[in-house]
Amino acid sequence: MAITLNTSTQADPPVLPEHPLRSTSRKLWSDWGTRTALIAVALLILTALTAPLLARLGGWSPTAFDSRAIDPYLGGMPRGSLGGISAEHWLGVEPATGRDLFARVVHGAQVSLLIAFAATAIVVVAGTAAGIAAGYFGGRVDTVLSRLMDLTMSFPSLIFMIAMMSVAQDVNRVLLMTVVIGVFGWPGIARIVRGEALSLRHREYVDAARVAGSGSWRILTREILPNISGPIIAYTTLLIPGMISTEAALSFLGVGVRPPTSSWGQMIAEAVTYYETDPMYFLIPSAFLFIAVLAFTVLGDALRDILDPQGGRS
Amino acid sequence: MSRQTRALSTALSASLALALLGACTTQEGGSDPDRREQPGVATGTIIGGLPKKGGTLTVLSNQDFGHLDPARNWVMPTMDFGTRLLYRTLTTFKAAPGDQGSGIVPDLATDLGKPSKGGRVWTFKLKPGLKYEDGSPIRAQDIKYNVERSFAPDLVGGPDYAQRYLADTDGYTGPLQGKHLDSIQTPDERTIIFSLRRPVAEFSYTVTLPTFSPVPQSQEKGVQYDLRPFSSGPYKIKSYARGKKLILVRNPHWAKTTDPVREAYPDQIVVQMGLKGGQIDDRIIASEGADASSVEWSDMQPSSIAKVLPRPEVKRRLVAERTGCTDMLALNTSRPPFSNLKLRQAMQYAVDKSAQVTASGGPALNDIATRYLPPALTGEGRSNSAYGRSTTSHADKAKKLLAEGGKPNGFSTTITVSTGDKTRAEALQQSLSQVGVRLKIQTVDPSVYYDTIGDTKHAPDMAINGWCPDYPSGSTFLPFVFDGRTIKEKGNQGNVSQFRDKAVEKRMDEIAAMSDAASADRAWNDLDIVIQSKSPAVPLLWKRKPLLVGDNIAGAFGHGAWTGQFDFAVIGLKDPSKSKG
Amino acid sequence: MIAYLVRRCLGVAGVLLAICAVTFIIFYLLPADPAAAACGKTCSPQRLAEVRHYMGLDQPLWRQFGDYLVGIFAGRDLGSGPHALHCGFPCLGYSYDNALPVWDLLMDRLPVSASLAFGAACMWLVLGLGAGVTAALKKGGLLDRTLMVTAVATASLPVYFTAVMLIYGLVRISGLLPYPTYTPLTSDPLGWATNLLLPWLALALLYAAMYARQSRSSMIEAMAQPYIRTARAKGMPARTVVVKHGLRSAMMPVLTLFGMDLGALLAGAVITESIFGIPGVGRLFYDALQRSDQPVVLGVTLLAAFFIVMANVLIDLLYAVIDPRVRT
Repeated sequence: MAITLNTSTQADPPVLPEHPLRSTSRKLWSDWGTRTALIAVALLILTALTAPLLARLGGWSPTAFDSRAIDPYLGGMPRGSLGGISAEHWLGVEPATGRDLFARVVHGAQVSLLIAFAATAIVVVAGTAAGIAAGYFGGRVDTVLSRLMDLTMSFPSLIFMIAMMSVAQDVNRVLLMTVVIGVFGWPGIARIVRGEALSLRHREYVDAARVAGSGSWRILTREILPNISGPIIAYTTLLIPGMISTEAALSFLGVGVRPPTSSWGQMIAEAVTYYETDPMYFLIPSAFLFIAVLAFTVLGDALRDILDPQGGRS
Repeated sequence: MSRQTRALSTALSASLALALLGACTTQEGGSDPDRREQPGVATGTIIGGLPKKGGTLTVLSNQDFGHLDPARNWVMPTMDFGTRLLYRTLTTFKAAPGDQGSGIVPDLATDLGKPSKGGRVWTFKLKPGLKYEDGSPIRAQDIKYNVERSFAPDLVGGPDYAQRYLADTDGYTGPLQGKHLDSIQTPDERTIIFSLRRPVAEFSYTVTLPTFSPVPQSQEKGVQYDLRPFSSGPYKIKSYARGKKLILVRNPHWAKTTDPVREAYPDQIVVQMGLKGGQIDDRIIASEGADASSVEWSDMQPSSIAKVLPRPEVKRRLVAERTGCTDMLALNTSRPPFSNLKLRQAMQYAVDKSAQVTASGGPALNDIATRYLPPALTGEGRSNSAYGRSTTSHADKAKKLLAEGGKPNGFSTTITVSTGDKTRAEALQQSLSQVGVRLKIQTVDPSVYYDTIGDTKHAPDMAINGWCPDYPSGSTFLPFVFDGRTIKEKGNQGNVSQFRDKAVEKRMDEIAAMSDAASADRAWNDLDIVIQSKSPAVPLLWKRKPLLVGDNIAGAFGHGAWTGQFDFAVIGLKDPSKSKG
Repeated sequence: MIAYLVRRCLGVAGVLLAICAVTFIIFYLLPADPAAAACGKTCSPQRLAEVRHYMGLDQPLWRQFGDYLVGIFAGRDLGSGPHALHCGFPCLGYSYDNALPVWDLLMDRLPVSASLAFGAACMWLVLGLGAGVTAALKKGGLLDRTLMVTAVATASLPVYFTAVMLIYGLVRISGLLPYPTYTPLTSDPLGWATNLLLPWLALALLYAAMYARQSRSSMIEAMAQPYIRTARAKGMPARTVVVKHGLRSAMMPVLTLFGMDLGALLAGAVITESIFGIPGVGRLFYDALQRSDQPVVLGVTLLAAFFIVMANVLIDLLYAVIDPRVRT
């Protein structure tokens, strides 16, 4: 899918300088795989944004119990086939509570994507800032920041995230999770940005700006940043699937969001022992997680091939 | 799921549950006409008939044992494992299903002990010819030594009855530094005399606890005794890889002739630890190869219920004995809103108990609790509920009480539960919202659950609290849960409601001083109703312990004394040749 | 070279010290009181104080940390009197839970995690590199597309999903494999392999997919280098070009990735171990965390960090041997 873009983009060099945004979107749209991914991503984001509305459309709140939809004598198994899928419960219900799976999975999308996006934002902002600073100023700043990157990368991140999530009990879980995931992600992008900044530092136009008396801040924001925005955008997109997976993994391990909030990982964790007795309960959140990770990966691959064709693949 | 381990080890577990009366076998809840047949085999049934001697019994577990050191073993089913297989106690429970199992018989001792000085002094004589795994004799001094060990700050976690009952123990910190207690006398190698600080009528029951098993001083290894307790029972430890595998083999020096309860059918017992709960169920349901000769240690997963109940050939292999504990919704009486009696009483009607049942695995595995004392401690029909035996909520009655309490439109309140009880909290949230009470759920990791709700300054308005009686009388239940004098500022456990009531406390003291067990029993039951009317907690569930056995298992039944865990004294195999040696 | 090594070792020590300090602080903030947990349900305040003293929890944070650090090298005593436990170098303390030295626990579980990690690594290297290099050589073809679509899809499946599906397919439905129950290699090599096959597969599928993608792009990059074109132009056999020149340079980034992944996995694959019930370091960590068994949690964290750092050092050394400029 995304990989084939490599060949197609290299085949037709742009004749006229096109607006970069427009050319990028045109290229993205030209491949059916990427197109599908783009649509999937758009739908998921839309789902997340309109989750309460969608749930209302389905007729159930994600926390409402429906004791009629389950059979208490069978340990709360959903009544009916396919995990209780019916006109009333579009994707069936959760065993033991009878909560509507559609409402829960849609609200789960909200939580999962919110955390993934917010954590990505933290990583990108922190990583870019550190990378530019290290690459542009060099010297002691570079040494300190590079050491910090090495140190952060030496942390057994999953183990640390689990530990930190179980330590803090009283804080906002979504916020905590975002920060915890973000803290360990920044060195990756910082290294890439540092490399780019290092190579741009002594380009003529940068030197020219410096000679013209521009301050460091102005040079960084006006000259350096715009020139490395391509790779940053590409890697940002590629970070998102990892963030979604990490959030799901933490929730799966039981250190994620608090009930009754749902997230995909937490739903899968609860459904995992039901894979035989109520397969739909297990498959539905898994499918959402799978599609989200897949779509963002494909999109990210495509963007990287377009925006940073020569880029160092770490 | 090590969570359950923690939950057990700190809460329910700490206690010795005891099925006393016939209430155990009779079903409650006649108000539910929809009730189908009983789950699994009927209480009192022994699965698989009489076992044959020999073979390897495998126990599949999702966790390791907390402590096998007899001075530290107070986690409910682990006490069963330890006292039935590895160490003998002065007295022990009969190996019988149902209510018969709550009776006790002499084990190391020749009788149930002789009280004197009005129950303040208890004398036990040991049987002659008792031996450890190396053939050396079991001496009364060794039992004294182990009781003393339970005072050591290194050897924590065990039953604290010695600290509570023995006279003159202030400042005592165990025998590791060479100091010994004067309140236990051993005039000769077969006599042990306990001097208590107050009369204890049921001390014969106290000495069923692993604290009262022998540990020779020569085998002392401090905290590492835990890894290899020295056996006085029918089996000894061959190898113990913590968290992985425990192998028990026969102790050749144990003599059946001295032991009235233990049959020791299998030649070898292997405990596989750290397996996944759902996979254990699947293996035992399939019963292939060595799995046919296996039993499960940890509860069957709720998700497996649908694989078991509809299939008669599997359902025949399910034990679901009552745990003997009561699950309650504790209401924090120390501050608003639940300092208001009317609001507390409103909760009795607002909570939908049938939703609690469903959230905990359904009516197959739970009964609705209608009072604090579990059925094992009350005669059938003797203790009544102050609020009727309704299974669902009564919104109208609840609203009326809310109005009387000055909150006709409900209020906001908080609950803290451990992550395992999440669904139950959500079910509460739902039912309370019907009467306008807005419940905010805080879940905490099981490892910090009791620290969180035990911090009285920051305690939530509500918490789910379970208690299992230590004795066949209310004296091991009500004073632990509702005596205001036991409240601690931090690490408060038991009286989570922070319920302080002078009249109730006075009555508790009066009943504790009664020398006649039967009238004390009646008095505790009456006190239960009195406390119910003050509503410091809403009784929720009497749970059952669902456990599966492989189809080569015989002699299996859930023992009421150990929250419904199998009685390991008499479990064995139908055909030992089928088990892998 | 010596100076370089010394510098690296100092760096490693610094990193481990920093990680140790951070972990220590995190657990100091934990609301759980290990002393109360150990003491049990009806613990009196006085007894709690004794237990706390015994466990050393009544000391200030800096003191506890200092004792811990000193203990690693000089050893420590736990408790007092004739039954005090001595814990020699390298002393990472004793588990609150079962009174075993943390070091022994780690060394007991490490073979399990190592079995899991190395077995899975062999599988994913074969699968991943095979698929990646094949795809790169057939770039743009149908095979390339199929392989890469499969890889990107497999990499998007969480390991717990793959694991459950593998159990369902290979154990429940077909009965080809037993439920995983760890058997040590030394006692029963065949049992070891059959019992670990499922977890190996689950982990390997995920990593193979990532490695296929990575090795494909490095291979394409390598094959586009001018010297490869020169070699080709000189009429060197295609096979020699691919193996001697293409693969060699393409494998460097893959090697870096491999070192890091293996390092992280050696200290326990928490999710995989917990879903298959494998008693490895990851499972130890998870259980210890549930019980606030701080010394064990700290020990696993340090071990994990150690492996990651060492993997880094080894990779750097490898580079340094190849390219002397790095040493300066």
